[in-house]
Amino acid sequence: MYKDLLKLDLFPTSWCPGCGIGQIMIQLAMAMDELGLNHTNCTVISGVGCTGRVSGYMKVDGVYTLHGRTLPVAEAIKLVKPDLKVIVVSGDGDLASIGGNHLLHAARRNPDITVLCNNNNVYGLTGGQAGPTTPRDTKTLTTPDGAYYDPINLQNVMKSGAKYFYARTTVQHQLHLRNCVKEAINWPGFSFVDIACHCIENNGRRLGFNSAYEMLQHFRKTYTRAPAGATELGPNEIGIIRKT
Amino acid sequence: MFLGAIEAGANFFAGYPITPSSEILVLAAERAAKDPSFKFIQSEDEIAAANAIMGASLAGAKSFTATAGPGFSLMQEAIGYGHQVEIPTVIINGQRVGPATGMPTMPAQEDILQSRYGSSGDYFPIVFYPGSVAECYRYTIISFNAAEESLSPVILLSDAFLSHLNEVVDLESIKLETVPRTRPPLGTGQRTFTGLTHDEEGRARTADAKVHRQWYYKTKERNTKVAAKYPDFELSGNKQSDTLLISSGIVSRVISPLGSEFALFRPIRIFPMLGTELRQIADKYKTIAVIEANDGQYASLVETELHRDVVRVPILGGRITLELAKEGLKQSLGREVS
Repeated sequence: MYKDLLKLDLFPTSWCPGCGIGQIMIQLAMAMDELGLNHTNCTVISGVGCTGRVSGYMKVDGVYTLHGRTLPVAEAIKLVKPDLKVIVVSGDGDLASIGGNHLLHAARRNPDITVLCNNNNVYGLTGGQAGPTTPRDTKTLTTPDGAYYDPINLQNVMKSGAKYFYARTTVQHQLHLRNCVKEAINWPGFSFVDIACHCIENNGRRLGFNSAYEMLQHFRKTYTRAPAGATELGPNEIGIIRKT
Repeated sequence: MFLGAIEAGANFFAGYPITPSSEILVLAAERAAKDPSFKFIQSEDEIAAANAIMGASLAGAKSFTATAGPGFSLMQEAIGYGHQVEIPTVIINGQRVGPATGMPTMPAQEDILQSRYGSSGDYFPIVFYPGSVAECYRYTIISFNAAEESLSPVILLSDAFLSHLNEVVDLESIKLETVPRTRPPLGTGQRTFTGLTHDEEGRARTADAKVHRQWYYKTKERNTKVAAKYPDFELSGNKQSDTLLISSGIVSRVISPLGSEFALFRPIRIFPMLGTELRQIADKYKTIAVIEANDGQYASLVETELHRDVVRVPILGGRITLELAKEGLKQSLGREVS
C-alpha cells in the first residue's frame, strides 16, 4: 500500500493548497510500492526548496541536501551502497541552475540513480523568481519585463550523453507519470524524469491562472503523447527517449 | 595522511585536483584501482567532493577529501551541512598563499580562521594541525576517530611545505585504536537527514528557537568533550625564558633554533583552542608572541583566550625563514634576537 511509504502523521504537508509536488510524491510512492521498494532497499534524496521536503515525508531513510547538491550526495551513496535504489527528487532550479554542473557530470558518469525533476519553471519557495527553465518573455519577480533568455533544454542536455534516459511527463498525466518513474527506476544507469508541474501561488497567478485546477487543465490541453518510437520529444510532448 | 586514513578504516574518497593536495587524490585513485572495497570519485569540483563525502558517510563509509585554500572555500557550505546533519568525515586542507589562486606552491597558514569560522552559522569544529610526517599519519587516524566520536566533520590542516615533506617514519611504531562507525547506514531506517534545523526525529523545525538552541549546545558540548580527549601540544625550548613563542606547522619547524633562547609552544589541536593548557603555560611568561604565516589570525584568538596582549609576528608570502622570524621578533620585542 503506497500510504505505508508516507509519514502521514506529518500531514498536512508544508506545501501550498493546490501544489503539484504532493502528486509527484504520491506517484513516486505508488511506483515504489508496485516495484517492492521500501526503507530496506531504497533511499530518497532531495534538494533545497519546496521539493526538498519530499524526503522528509517518506518512510525511507531520506537526505535533504544543500541547495543544488543532491547529485554528488546521491552518487556517493550509490557507490557505497550499490544494492540501494537511490532516487533524487528535486526542483528545476536546484538541478539545472545551482546544481547544473553536477547534472552534467553525474549524467556523464552514468551512475544507476533516478532523478525526478519537479519542473515548474520558477523558483517557487523564494517567491517566484526566474529560473533556468522559465520560458522567454515570462514575467517573474526578477524579470518584470519578461524573461530575457531562452530556457535550458534539459532534453538536449541529457541527450548529449553517450547513454541516456530522459522522460517528460506532467502532474496532470498521473498514470504516465507513474510509469515514467517506474521505467526510470528500472533503468540501469542515470535516468532523468522531467515532470512539468505547476506553482499556483508564486507563478500561476502572475501568469493569469485563477487556480491550480486551471493550470492542470492547461497541461491536459497543451501536452500530447509523443509518437511511438520517437527519438526526440517535441516541445510539448510527453514520452521517454533513451539510448543504451 | 593517506596511509593514516587507510589505517583509520577510510573506504571512500572524493576530490578535485589542487596543489598541494593532488597527491592524496592520486593515491586514492590508485587504491581504488587495486582495492574494490575502496570507493573513489574524481569530482567535477570541490563542492561536489565535499557533498559526496557527506553522502558516503551517511551511506556507511568512512570518507574523506583533501584540498587547498580555494577548494576549501568551495567546501565550506558542505562543512556547515555536515555540522547541522551531524556527519562524521574528514577534510584535509593543505594551506597555500592566498587569497584566491594566490601562490599555489607556496606554504601559508592563512586558512586558520577559515577552518574555524568558514561556513555560515554557529558551529563548533575540531581542527588538528600536525607538524611532521609522523604526526600527519598519527593525526589523520585521530581525526577519523574524533569525527566518529563527535559526529562532525573534522578538519586536518597541513601546509604546502608539510604536504610535500619527505621523512622516514616507522609506521609500525604508531599504533592507535580506531573508532568504528556507530550510526546505521542509509537503507536501515525511516530517518530524515536534513540541513534544516530539526528535532531529534529529523523533523524540520525552522521557527523553533528552543530546538535550535538544544541542537547547538548539544553539539558544542559533545565536540568539547571529544576534543578534550586530544589536548595535544608540544612545549619545548628554553622554558626559563621570559618569552613564549607560539607557532605551528611549518613555522614551528623553521623557528625551532630559537628554542635556545625562547620557550616554544606548538598547539596541535588548533580548535577548539587549548584553553586551560595554554593559560597555565602562558601565565609563566612575561611576553607571548605568535609567529605565523598569516597576518595574526591565530594571535587574535590567543589574545581572546588569554585576555592579554600578544605580540604578532606575521611571515607572509610563503618564504618562511628563520631570519624573517628573528627580524619580526626584534622589531616587536625591541631587542636583539640571537
